[in-house]
Amino acid sequence: METVLEVKDLCVTYQNKSRSVYAVKDVSFSINQGDSLGIVGESGSGKSTLAMAILRLLPPKTAKVTGEAYFQGKELLTLDDASLREIRWKHLAVVFQKAMNALSPVHRISTQIEDIYRQHEPKATRQEIRQRSQELFQMVGLPDRVYRLYPHEMSGGMLQRVAIAISLLHSPQLLIFDEATTALDVVTQGQILEEVVRLEKALNTTRIMITHDMSVVSASCTKTAVMYAGQMMEIGQTRDVLKRPMHPYTQGLLHSFPTLTGERKTLESIPGSLPDLSVEHAGCVFAPRCPFATDRCHAKRPAARQMEDGRTVACWRYGGESDG
Amino acid sequence: MAENQAFIEIDNITKWFPHKDKKLLHIGQEKQWVKAVDAVSLQIRRGEILGIIGESGCGKSTLGKLLTRLEEPTSGDVRIGGVSTRELIRRDPKQFRRKVQIVFQNPLDTFTPRDTIEKILMRPLRLHHIGKDDAQRREICLKGLENGGLRPAEDIMSRYPHELSGGQLQRISIIRAMFLEPSFIIADEPVSMLDVSVRADIIRMLQEMSRERNAAVAFISHDIALTRYISDRIAVMYLGKIVEYGDADDVIGNPKHPYTKALISNCSSIDPEEEQEHIKIQGEPPTPVNPGPGCYFAPRCYKACDACFKKYPDAADFPNGHYAVCNRTADN
Repeated sequence: METVLEVKDLCVTYQNKSRSVYAVKDVSFSINQGDSLGIVGESGSGKSTLAMAILRLLPPKTAKVTGEAYFQGKELLTLDDASLREIRWKHLAVVFQKAMNALSPVHRISTQIEDIYRQHEPKATRQEIRQRSQELFQMVGLPDRVYRLYPHEMSGGMLQRVAIAISLLHSPQLLIFDEATTALDVVTQGQILEEVVRLEKALNTTRIMITHDMSVVSASCTKTAVMYAGQMMEIGQTRDVLKRPMHPYTQGLLHSFPTLTGERKTLESIPGSLPDLSVEHAGCVFAPRCPFATDRCHAKRPAARQMEDGRTVACWRYGGESDG
Repeated sequence: MAENQAFIEIDNITKWFPHKDKKLLHIGQEKQWVKAVDAVSLQIRRGEILGIIGESGCGKSTLGKLLTRLEEPTSGDVRIGGVSTRELIRRDPKQFRRKVQIVFQNPLDTFTPRDTIEKILMRPLRLHHIGKDDAQRREICLKGLENGGLRPAEDIMSRYPHELSGGQLQRISIIRAMFLEPSFIIADEPVSMLDVSVRADIIRMLQEMSRERNAAVAFISHDIALTRYISDRIAVMYLGKIVEYGDADDVIGNPKHPYTKALISNCSSIDPEEEQEHIKIQGEPPTPVNPGPGCYFAPRCYKACDACFKKYPDAADFPNGHYAVCNRTADN
């Protein structure tokens, strides 16, 4: 299978006059064509920063990005502006959490769609664009009249569908959803997720889904990555990671989710809180909150290590020494 | 009071808001109302947690405000221990505010940003004359924080709200409510702003309040799995009305109302191997402007028949006090 995106040792540090705080540290992963990767983590784990860095949307003055990110062989992080414009939306699209903020409140949806479409197809006629959006609206389950509406005339669920439809305008190879379904109601979220999975199969797109909700990942992603304090803790097939979590943090997260069926297991919190990310941690970043932590965990950071089932775990309990 | 007797009685409570029409002229037009909460009757026993679930805009937060009398109901009443809250609040507002506590969604908005945690925690104690002097009140605060897992308590006391995390603040707002030994607590989405790994603590504190101090708790949430976890009983709301009510396991495990079924079927499980069939319902909940006369859910319902559009259905009863307000529960 073809690799769509390969990220190597990506680090993001936010800087101001007095100090620097790292948000993402040494993250490496790759996604193949047709895969869907869910990145889960709590607030402050750096999952959104990671996506913004890949999309080159971080302010260059305050955020320092190092590492490499190859998108279809092109290095995204060093690409010049013109080539970046070429890729954005055509090959690489993003849907943000709040579609109401992503759309202009003073233009009709039609105007906004035409605008975006002409970025890459300057000669497109109105009819062409209209037809294309009609197709897309149908795919995401929107009535046709939406085309003539202003954003304030629609509900949150409809706007989110519009945002998804717009992201698909040029059939991008890679779609990034940054908490795209979080603000929606249960029923709408369930239906949109189903649509997205179906569309993906039909169009053979690749997706990165950033969320804090494990159930969203479980319902819609083939691979799962768990982030904590800017670092990748565990990444692998969703059924492996969620059914048999190996990293203590993944286990802790899963213990704090109640289930809808079966007996009510006691929910457990992970004691403590996120470490201070402005200082360098010698050991594993999760060690202060980890129930299994030993002296070694506090002394040295474990390297990511590949397991037999293909997943990668960064924990001393599973080696952590080899591979680097 | 006997264990099984209802402690909180919500009796046909209704809240209508005037609907602002966008048109300039509405002479001769009848005034329109948004029925945010429409004839809701529920009961909560002492030591019981009632979960209220529904989508955004279904009126669950308005119901919470009605219970605390932060909103005056259009009609109907809430009785605590047999006495109307209208009467209670007229007789002794301070005592009423002490016995009925509410925990809001966003802990950062709950606290005065310019006060330290010490000031925030001491104020209710002073107002209600709990503790002999400030030194003793300080002791109570420190003990409360320690018990709530906020250590070092001395350090926390000197901080400002913005210096603490959302989880810590929410714990403080529950601790503050607990100081006053309330007999009725309304928790309006208390954990939806918090990270999953710290939710469990908040949930445990609420459960302790209900079990150990025998308080009645109304837990308002849109998170169905979490509500099932914490609640003894669950009420499902749709457009201001209760559509289904019963024991938590009955309602979630064996839902009778088509709306409840759709809600539950659209909840993703964290088990990736669990195959789910999503029940599709059209559109999103409309604004409750003059709904009816039929079942409010009928326009979106996948089971609706002609009768559903004509008359608001009666409740169909099932064992254990479980009921669903629907015509079509029989052919499931």
